Parts: sequence; structure tokens; C-alpha cells
Amino acid sequence: MKILLVDDEQKFVNMLAKRMALRGIEADVAYTGEEAIKKAEKTIYDVAVLDIKMPGISGIQLKEKLSPLHANLKFIFVTGHGAIEKLEDEDSGAEKDIYISKPLNIEFLIETIEDLIQAG
Amino acid sequence: MLKIVPEFLKAIRPEFRNHKKNFHQDAYYTFTNYRYLWVIGIFILAVTALSPLFMATLTYHQLIETSVDSDLNHRTKQLTDAAKSAVTFFMEERLNALTFTVNENGYDQLTDNARLTEILKNLKLGFGGVTDLSVLDADGNQVAYAGPFNLEGKNYKNQSWFEQSIKKMNFISEVFTGYRGVPHIIITVRSAKSDGSFFILRATLDTERLMKTLSSYKTGAYADIFLVNREGILQTPSMHYGAIFTPTNLIFPANSYETDVNTMTFNGISIISGHSLILRDMVTTPFTLMVLKEKAGMLQFWMDMRSKFNRIISASVIIIIIVITFASTFMVNKLYRADKAKAETMMQMEQTQQLASIGQLAAGVAHEINNPLAVINQTAGYMKDLFSFKDQTQNTDELIEYIDSILDAVDRCGTITRQLLGFVKQFDVKIKNVNLQKLISQVLSFHRKEAEYRQINVTVSIPDIFPELETDSSKLQQILVNLVNNAFQAVEEGNSLDIVARQVDTNTIELVIHDTGCGIPEENLKKIHEPFFSTKKDKSGTGLGLSITYSLIKKLGGRISVQSTEGVGTSFTIILPVKIKEGRIA
Repeated sequence: MKILLVDDEQKFVNMLAKRMALRGIEADVAYTGEEAIKKAEKTIYDVAVLDIKMPGISGIQLKEKLSPLHANLKFIFVTGHGAIEKLEDEDSGAEKDIYISKPLNIEFLIETIEDLIQAG
Repeated sequence: MLKIVPEFLKAIRPEFRNHKKNFHQDAYYTFTNYRYLWVIGIFILAVTALSPLFMATLTYHQLIETSVDSDLNHRTKQLTDAAKSAVTFFMEERLNALTFTVNENGYDQLTDNARLTEILKNLKLGFGGVTDLSVLDADGNQVAYAGPFNLEGKNYKNQSWFEQSIKKMNFISEVFTGYRGVPHIIITVRSAKSDGSFFILRATLDTERLMKTLSSYKTGAYADIFLVNREGILQTPSMHYGAIFTPTNLIFPANSYETDVNTMTFNGISIISGHSLILRDMVTTPFTLMVLKEKAGMLQFWMDMRSKFNRIISASVIIIIIVITFASTFMVNKLYRADKAKAETMMQMEQTQQLASIGQLAAGVAHEINNPLAVINQTAGYMKDLFSFKDQTQNTDELIEYIDSILDAVDRCGTITRQLLGFVKQFDVKIKNVNLQKLISQVLSFHRKEAEYRQINVTVSIPDIFPELETDSSKLQQILVNLVNNAFQAVEEGNSLDIVARQVDTNTIELVIHDTGCGIPEENLKKIHEPFFSTKKDKSGTGLGLSITYSLIKKLGGRISVQSTEGVGTSFTIILPVKIKEGRIA
């Protein structure tokens, strides 16, 4: 299981990666959308955890770019913005994206990741 | 009854007279000059309602006057004609009788005093008005006399009437008193004697009879009928224009044998006069018949009717004006109330909008705070992990680094909350010194992250030497928040937002908020400051933002203009006084 964490809040993703490592999950970090694409081109990830609001390429746009690289790549969005319900409503696609609001609970995040992979 | 008066005054008196000046609310009134609206309303209604009335009244008066005038002239002419006929007939009749007498009797019989007395008696019986008769020879000697006076043997050679009577067949004298001291007229008929010389038969006519005839034509107290001679000396007494044998002060009309009617003024009184020379075919008389009527007197009936009519018209005008005032008051009141309600609503909306814009900012701020909170959460979580997953308590340097990171994030949170507090504090309404640069950066700070995410290039350009504004900071802040929020909604990724301030003169600054966003279509440009105009179809906008912004700028004594090209960008230019005028604060 390999996770890609993308957020412009560097300390946040770094900490998240370290904590995942402690829990036996291999996680790479990227601070920008471009960096994330580069990493995804080299490595196959199971799940990408993306911050929605990022300078340059936003989380939503990033998903569009990463999806073609790996057909099986699953996405989880993280946002500091409270309005999650609204975003979920807007997505009418068959495959619903998962949104988690900041600040987040790491155990919940890992559970969600595991669920996603199992669902498959 | 007493209750009606204040009720009536209340209905007439428009409500805007009780308007209490409220600077903040007054900016939201659509109409500012209600007195003007009210007066104009009354004026227009009055002109509309009263001009036909005035026109009709005027026409009516003119028609009446013309018809009354012509009627009066006509009647005066008729009267003059009738009186003229009567006087002419009076003279003619007697002259004919005398001619008959002369022709019938001849000189010899007439000089017989007994016969003459008999003839006088018959004349008196037949015609009346003959006082005496006498026969004169060519030298003016009275040859025979019949009558009440003892005038036998008198010589009239030097009398003017005798001089005139020998020249013509017939003669009628002016009225005079002569030897007798009684006004009388002399009528003479000249006749030839068998020896070729001539004699004259003279009759004296009593003027009493003539006067009676004349007065019988008098109609009413305002008419006067009398005779004057060619010099304007009264030959019979008049009521208003002088006694007998005195000159009339009338401007004497041109002599004419035709009855002539005209209007003149005597002692300030308008009179209608009819006059005509009394002419007999056989003889020229010295008399002019005068018929004078006081116009006012004759018109009394019309005058009374006119004043009655005028009173009715005046009463109608007063009623119409009252009704019109009532209508105007009613309409202006409706307008005023609606406007007042609108102003009050807008006033509330201004506060609501202020809160809404703060709410909008708060949402952004929550996001801003969530990021450092997430860092704190994960860092603290990791520190806990360090203790629970592996015993790394010895590595204090790493721990301190994490704690610093937490403190750092707390600082970030603190900065944001302080910003928000500082912003909210500006809410108190009072005039204070405002550093525009500081206020702008404060407003922009809430959009900093958004600008970053959306790659919007925000620049602020304010000269180093720029006056501190003395103004209502809360209003200025709200203006900036509204305009910056608008700009952020208009721009897309990569667009720019430029805020440029400059000092125009000692008491004026100009602030331009320019964005290179979507722009405003021309047809909307005029409507954007109208309340409830919104292009946000998803109903996220109330349509009040710009409308309130316009009012706020007005309240600060400034003005705003907008230039926009669709697809190119929009510029809002605000002109503000450096120092707000006194009294512009609630």
C-alpha cells in the first residue's frame, strides 16, 4: 500500500507522512500539484490524499491529471473549508469522491484509505 | 365640529413636513425634494382643473359684456329715436297749426284782436301748450296780441328771434325767458300781405308741455333726456347734467341728423349717450336731443349676476384647490411613506449587508485557521506517536522542533484572529483618522490566501506621502470590503486586481479599484447601483452590495463612478474628501 500526500501546508503533510510511517503505511509527500504529477509518473500509488485549495493546480484539477496515469488510483480530498456537503452534492459521478475536513484524525484517515483499497 | 379642523389640516398637510433629518437614512431616499413634488403636483393639477374654468368664465364675461353692450346701444337708439319723433312731432304739429291759421285767416282777420283771441282759444283746445299769439308787421311792431300778458304795442325789431324770423318762412327759437321771466319757445310763420309786404304770426309755446313729453320717455333713475342748443346750453332741465340754461360739461358729440349712439365718460362714470339734431323739413331747430344712460345703472342687473357668478366661481376655485391639495398631499404622502419604508429597509439592509460581508470573510478565515490547526493536530499527534510507538523521549532536539512548529501554528492562528478582531472593532461608528494603506491591507489580508490559490496578482499603490483620512472608518471599511469582494468574484485565475490611490487636491483623494475580470455588460452598467439588481442567478447575491456601497460613499461625502468593458475589466473610481464634513455622522 502506497499513499501520495499532496498539500501546500508542508509541516502538515510531513507530519502526516511520518505518522503513517509509524503505522506501517508508506507515504510520499508532494507540496505542489506539479511535484505530485512527477512522483505519480515514477511510482504507482494506491491512494492520493489531496488538499483542495492549493496555489496553482488545485486538488480537483490534480485528480483530473492523476487519474489517467493510474486507473486504479483512489482519491481522498482534504479541505480546511467547512463546506464539504456542498462539494459532495455537486459531484454527481457514479464514483463519489471522499472528503475529509481539516484538522483531521489520522486513525479515521487510515481507516478510510483501507476501506477504499478494500472496496477496490 | 371643532374636531374637523385639525382633521382637515392633517389631510392637507403633507407628512414630509414632519420629516426628521437622519443623515444615514436620508441617503436612501429616492426623492429628496418632496416640497417641490408636492407644489408641482398642486400646480399641475390646478392648471389642468382651473384653466378651462377660467377660460369659460372669461369667455362668458366677454360674451355677456358684448351682448349687453349691444343691447344697451340698441335700446338707447330706440329710445332716442322715439323721443326725437315725439319732439319733432310736437314742433311740427304746432308749426303746421300756425301755418294753417295764417293761410285760413289772412292779415285782416288776424289783426282783429277778438278774432285772434278766438283763434288762441281754439289752438289751446286743439293742441295745448300755446300761451299767446301775436301779429307783427315787417318793422317788428306788434299789431295784434292775444294772451295773458299785456304786450300790445311792443316793438321786437331788435330782438334776435325777430331778425331771424323775417328771413325765413318758419322759425323756431331757442328756449328763453324774455320779457316774461318764464322759459318759452317762439314759433313764427311769415306770410305775404296783399300790398306785397309781409307780416309775421308769432306763437309762444309753453316749454312745460315739451318737458312733460320728454320726461315721459325717461326710463328708470339712470336715464336722462333733455335738449341742448348748438352751443351746448341746456334747453330743458336735466337730472344729472346741469340746470336749464347752463352749459353741459359733456364732451359734445358731433352734430348729426341721424341718431348716433356712443359711449363716453362723465365724471368718471361710463355713460351711453344717444343724440340727434331735431330737424324739421320746413325749419331748422336749434335743438339737439340728448339721451344719456348711466351704463353701470343700466348694467346693474348684469353686474349683480356677474358678481354672483364670480362668487360661485371663487367658491368653486377654493374647493377645487382644496381638493387638489388634498389629492397632492395624498399622493405625495403615499410616495413619501413608500420611500421612507424603503429607506428604513435599506438602512437595515446596510447593517445586514455589513454582517453578511463579515460572514463571508469569516468563512475564509475559518479556512485560514483550519490549516495551522491541522498542523498543530498532526504535530501534536506525531509527538504522541513518538511516545506510544517507540520510546524516543530522549531526542529532545526533535521534540523542541515539533513544539516550535506548534507554537508557530498557534501564532498564525493568533494573527488571523487578531486581524478579524481588529476588523470587527472598526464597526463602531465614529470619525477617526484612517490610514488608507493600513485599511486596504487589512481588507486584503482576508483574501491573501484566495489570491494565492487562484493566482490573482494583487497590487496596492499608494504614494508615500498620503494624507490620513478623517472619516467614518467603518463605512470606508465596508466600502472596501464590498468592492474587493466584488472584484474577487469578477476575476479568474491569472487576472489581476490593482488598487491605486492618489491625492487630487488638499481635501480630495481618488481611489481606483481595477480588476481585469469579466467586466460588466453595458446594459447592466447603469443598473448596478440599483437595489436588488443582481446577475448572480444562483441567488447567492442580494443585489444590495453595490447599492449600499454607493450610499455609503455618498454618506462619506464622496462619489463613485464605474468604467467597465466586458471581458476586459472593471474600474471603480471613488472620490473621497480627506476630511468628512461636520454633521455627517449619526
